[in-house]
Amino acid sequence: SQPLAGGQAAELQSKVVPSKQIIHSDNMEMEPETMETKSVTDYFSKLHMGSLVYSCTSKRKNK
Amino acid sequence: LSRCRMEASCLELALEGERLCKAGDCRAGVSFFEAAVQVGTEDLRTLSAIYSQLGNAYFYLHEYAKALEYHHHDLTLARTIGDLLGEAKASGNLGNTLKVLGNFEEAIVCCQRHMDISRELNDKVGEARALYNLGNVYHSKGKNVANAGTHDPGELPDDVKNALQKAAKYYEENLSIVTELGDRAAQGRAFGNLGNTHYLLGNFRSAVLAHEQRLLIAKEFGDRSAERRAYSNLGNAYIFLGEFETAAEYYRRTLQLARQLKDRAVEAQACYSLGNTYTLLQDYEKAIDYHLKHLVIAQELHDKIGEGRACWSLGNAYTALGNHDQAIHFAGRHLEISREVGDRSGELTARLNLSDLQMVLGLSYSTNNSMMAESQAVENSLNGGRPRGRRYSMENMELMKLTPEKVPNWN
Repeated sequence: SQPLAGGQAAELQSKVVPSKQIIHSDNMEMEPETMETKSVTDYFSKLHMGSLVYSCTSKRKNK
Repeated sequence: LSRCRMEASCLELALEGERLCKAGDCRAGVSFFEAAVQVGTEDLRTLSAIYSQLGNAYFYLHEYAKALEYHHHDLTLARTIGDLLGEAKASGNLGNTLKVLGNFEEAIVCCQRHMDISRELNDKVGEARALYNLGNVYHSKGKNVANAGTHDPGELPDDVKNALQKAAKYYEENLSIVTELGDRAAQGRAFGNLGNTHYLLGNFRSAVLAHEQRLLIAKEFGDRSAERRAYSNLGNAYIFLGEFETAAEYYRRTLQLARQLKDRAVEAQACYSLGNTYTLLQDYEKAIDYHLKHLVIAQELHDKIGEGRACWSLGNAYTALGNHDQAIHFAGRHLEISREVGDRSGELTARLNLSDLQMVLGLSYSTNNSMMAESQAVENSLNGGRPRGRRYSMENMELMKLTPEKVPNWN
């Protein structure tokens, strides 16, 4: 499926352009990469956090 | 430190690292993540998340060797704990990093793994992102091989063409998924890179269609950087369609936005493109005006290569106008700069220009016998099919021979 393909045969390089005067091909502007993200809160459910905080504070009280 | 206090402080440090990276201060974020690693944690999922974010932070800081190291740790860890989604993400990040480092074959394997797992997990979003990454790897691979020689878009060896066609295929597969998902931002990214891929393949009409879509989405989001990118890419495509007036219009919009965004480097590039476009339109006064603007910014940014290009272009434009004094001045500057940056090819071009100009001016060049002899030798070798290696400041340029039919006011 080529939604954008259209008359590619007609798109041979234009002979009008004197390439010697142009450096256009090295300033193509690319879109940014996308990186996959992880977060410590992905795995640290609130419950887990709560129990950790609880166990730490209760241990401190027992001292 | 007791275990629970250690865990809590590792988590606190990591959360602060996350906050700083989200706020855009990756350097400070890295310090906190590294401190978190120092403290340590027994929770391998937490550690995996820290490694992943360290990898991304180093990626954004352009420290790719470190990014590679941490994404690799993350991948190992994700596999160890049997976290399939985590493995997919780590593979994708590793693939992107390997791509930037120019290791395309391994990058493809990693991005493919990202895609396979996403499909296995029936994760459409992940699959689309993996397809975009794969498109980017093949695009870079194609461009990398293409850059080894010097040719215009559309004149490509088979291996380059194959890589670019694969890139286009992946971008289109990505587009069909993100369109289905209604993710406009992702569509914008895919259209932009698909447009650039068509441009390199020499499908300039298709490139225009894709960049027009990109422009539309950029405007929807009010994303002025993306809008500026689209204008610039549209200008490039119209140059190769031979529609120089349209190209000039798009480059003018690029320049306008570059100024609004206060990006001097991009402003310089837009001026340079406009200078070249007006040269093609044979409006040399305008060309000189823009090349001078480019020259000023190049000097301001200490961009020697840009400065050399500006002088070369100015020399040509002044020659075309028959202003030989200025032409000699800039050809001389071009020669000096080429020597300074060690650009051998630029240096030889400058010598030839100078000797041509001196002939035109009827100067005695008997004093310059050695230069003339060298220039003649270069000319012969250039015309005799010189091997086309990578050139620096004169990339993609051929020697512009000054001949009477090119210079109307020769006498």
